[in-house]
Amino acid sequence: MARIRIAFSKEDPVRWLSHLDTQKAFERALRRAQIPLSYSEGFNPHPKISFASALAVGVVSLGEYVDVEVSQEIEGAEVVKSLQTAMPEGFRIIEATLVPSGQKALMALVNRAQYRIKAPLLKVLDEKTVQDAVVNALSLTNWQVEREGKKGTVIKDIRSGVYELKSSIIENHLLLEMLVQTGSEGNVRPEEVLSIVVQQESLPVNVDRLRILRLGLFVTKGDQLLTPIEVLKAL
Amino acid sequence: MNQEQISQILEDELLNKVTKPTRYTGGEYNQVKKDWSTVNTTMAFAFPDVYEVGMSHLGLRILYHLINDQENMLMERVFAPWIDMEEELRKREIPLFSLESRRPLKDFDVIGFTLQYEMSYSNILNMLDLADIPLWSYDRTDEHPLIIAGGPCAVNPEPLADFLDLVILGEGEESLPKLLEAIGNFKQAQGWRRDSQRDSRKALLRELAQLPGIYVPSLYQPHYNDSGHFVSIERIDSTVPAQVSKQVVADLDKAYFPTKSMVPFMGVVHDRIMLEVLRGCSRACRFCQAGSIYRPVRERSMETLKKQAEELIQQTGYDEIALTSLSTADYSCVEPLLKDLLQSHEEKRVGVSLPSLRVDAFSVDLAKEVQKVRKTGLTFAPEAGTQRLRDVINKGVTEEDLMETIEKAFQGGWHTIKLYFMMGLPTEEEEDLEGIARLAEQVAYVGSDIFRSKGIRKAVKVTVSVSSFVPKPQTPFQWEPQDRMALLEEKQQFLKKRIRDRRITYNWHDSKVSFIEAVMAKGDRNLGKVLYKAWENGAKFDGWTEHFRFERWQEAFQAEDIDPEYYAYRKIEYDEPLPWEHLNYGVSRSYLVKEHKKAIESELTDDCRHNKCSACGVCSSLGISVDLRGGDHGQNSDRL
Ligand code: B12
Ligand code: SF4
Repeated sequence: MARIRIAFSKEDPVRWLSHLDTQKAFERALRRAQIPLSYSEGFNPHPKISFASALAVGVVSLGEYVDVEVSQEIEGAEVVKSLQTAMPEGFRIIEATLVPSGQKALMALVNRAQYRIKAPLLKVLDEKTVQDAVVNALSLTNWQVEREGKKGTVIKDIRSGVYELKSSIIENHLLLEMLVQTGSEGNVRPEEVLSIVVQQESLPVNVDRLRILRLGLFVTKGDQLLTPIEVLKAL
Repeated sequence: MNQEQISQILEDELLNKVTKPTRYTGGEYNQVKKDWSTVNTTMAFAFPDVYEVGMSHLGLRILYHLINDQENMLMERVFAPWIDMEEELRKREIPLFSLESRRPLKDFDVIGFTLQYEMSYSNILNMLDLADIPLWSYDRTDEHPLIIAGGPCAVNPEPLADFLDLVILGEGEESLPKLLEAIGNFKQAQGWRRDSQRDSRKALLRELAQLPGIYVPSLYQPHYNDSGHFVSIERIDSTVPAQVSKQVVADLDKAYFPTKSMVPFMGVVHDRIMLEVLRGCSRACRFCQAGSIYRPVRERSMETLKKQAEELIQQTGYDEIALTSLSTADYSCVEPLLKDLLQSHEEKRVGVSLPSLRVDAFSVDLAKEVQKVRKTGLTFAPEAGTQRLRDVINKGVTEEDLMETIEKAFQGGWHTIKLYFMMGLPTEEEEDLEGIARLAEQVAYVGSDIFRSKGIRKAVKVTVSVSSFVPKPQTPFQWEPQDRMALLEEKQQFLKKRIRDRRITYNWHDSKVSFIEAVMAKGDRNLGKVLYKAWENGAKFDGWTEHFRFERWQEAFQAEDIDPEYYAYRKIEYDEPLPWEHLNYGVSRSYLVKEHKKAIESELTDDCRHNKCSACGVCSSLGISVDLRGGDHGQNSDRL
């Protein structure tokens, strides 16, 4: 019994897969790749696969992670090679490495996400206006957003979950890059951050045509940001 | 709009607005994306229902990979867009496109619809409209693709005849590649589609009409009497075949079957490997259209199936194999195959499932084999409530069979039993309905008794689903009228009041849907305008309860001054002409008449697989024979 940590990207067209679809796609790909999986006991044996974090439908990610329990030790490089050919188009297997025993589960580990969000501008804007909006937004201590919960709409303050925020304009698109909270402490969604920024100067952006990119998932260690794979290397 | 523009809008604006975006993205593992410049003929397989239904269709899987394995042709897929997507497409005037290349359907040489169910006909019209292709075949020119169809409802395609350029009768494994080849050749020789000024479409269709199994409706002219009733259908001249015969694969074991099969991302209805163990069924239930359409029975060998299963597991990564066919328990090697599959793939935790069970102890034994631990429900179809009526429909099931089966199931640890019945069958009386209720109760009592004696505290659950009988072409009941809607509803209420037992859940079907199904199933070409009108009135997804609106159809019949009751409720005399008799499905008229007469007398007919040939005519008329692979079942193999 061993655990393998795999880093992968999720691009077109598979960015449209739900979390459940992604889990199934991995499970099937691992089987096709003949990776020796270890199964749960019971009526309905399932391979033990756990993802770092759910990715919203439609979001491209360059840094996703999954832990897979295997029944025999297997080289990371071997996993990358055989799994890549078994994956549907749009998933790239970046790296794989054995997880020493006793390590925390991925889900409990990851607490930061870095995003880039791109929104088309409806009018020409200068960088200054956009930067002012960001500065104004960051100076506020309370960022109220609405979320649809099981019991209807709830208001949430997300300000404390936003650690970095930068803006720019490229080819008539507003670009925001941010580092936000994710995982068990709570999740901040990039489109919520965008909505707060836009509110400041009533920026004319088309929110129907957003492109969101997750640049990576991280673990904080002191004031360092490490990827879940770097965490293992740093041991 | 070209493929790049469509792709751009899809990615940027549409996919984030619709439910279940992977219905439209394509990109599934084992999807085939061929280079258009390397092939002669391009075809889109169009399933007139939503993605998760269409991707469960085995026929699509077979034809898709078959055509894409040919060098000179390609096939892509398209499904009916769900309501939300349709709205977005119409709003932006985006033409319906294929999943693979995202090209507009108009770019293809051929668009092929599968006819699985009469209630999806309105979706065919809607999809053509969304593709910006003229609906009526005579409005189409060289600019437009050929619109073709195949599948079980091709047995009577007349209500669709004016919308289709051609129809393939029977199985497509051999005839479709030949058809596409011929189209490709014609294209090269005659410049079809390259020159919008020329109209070579008619010439092409005439040429294709010469191929076996190809029916070109425009080359056949129906005639009606003064009251607008069908009297005959004739070819327009003698260069066209008078009759078109269904094509079947003679040796199923050697027939093409894909093992690099696609793996959908979203959960589809049948989300597992479909391993087709046999085709056809000769149990000869008299209401069953599939029995006639897929005759004769042909099996695959164990060796072939084992090899295909192995490859499919490797190529798809699925953890479940369904052994599919019309009646898998009838497969002559079912037991050894099951055991072998379970054993060979145990390490990979691959399970096996059996979608269809007979009402007998043997089937429960098989189910025990596959559901060792996970005991989900078991489903059986006695179809009628009394022995007399079961004999009428030739369902060779006795009450003892049923009770023995049920007992075995409860003893085996199952606690949910589903029973399928039909109401409105020919000769049905109140006691037959009463019989349904009584059987269900008996099943529940047997279950409770067994549970009590075994000290099991779980409650017994019996679900009774009663559909309404729809008489279908090429069956012994094709001459029978359907029960009137009001009567069916009365019968449904009777059962609802009658079934009081809390262990029993009773379901029934909307009689209005069954009525339209009956009209379309036995319809003639006159119904094309009704279908068109109903579609104009908004009909689509008629097979979905939440989208079916009877008024749309009623208004359409009224507007076209066509009496639907004439089609559904009329008792047809044996000597009356039938709108589908120029299409030969092999089963002879005299056999159907004989079976119909035997039905009225409650006389049984044996399964020709193990007993004597019942002279249905299929084998002699198509020049093939029953093909069993179980060795000791071969006593009928010399019947040609
Ligand atoms: C799998 C299946 C499903 C799946 C997938 C949908 C589907 N239609 O396949 C699910 C579970 C979703 C389903 C749902 C329903 N089904 Co269903 N289903 C089947 C089943 C078991 C197998 C179909 C199949 O794959 N056959 C095997 C292939 C190889 O055969 P084939 O389809 O005939 O294809 C061959 C040829 O016909 C031809 N061909 C077919 N299409 C085309 C198209 C072109 C262009 C060409 C050239 C050739 C061609 O080439 C193929 C290869 O030889 C059949 C019963 C059976 N065993 O046939 C019922 C069957 C098709 N279903 C039926 C019914 C009633 C339904 C439902 C209405 C049930 C309900 N009440 O909801 C829905 C309707 C959904 C729909 N729109 O089709 C009936 C249809 C009866 C009718 N014509 O009125 C059938 C015949 C079962 C029965 N005996 O009653 N079904
Ligand atoms: S001709 Fe005879 S053997 Fe062949 S399918 Fe018909 S009944 Fe069966």
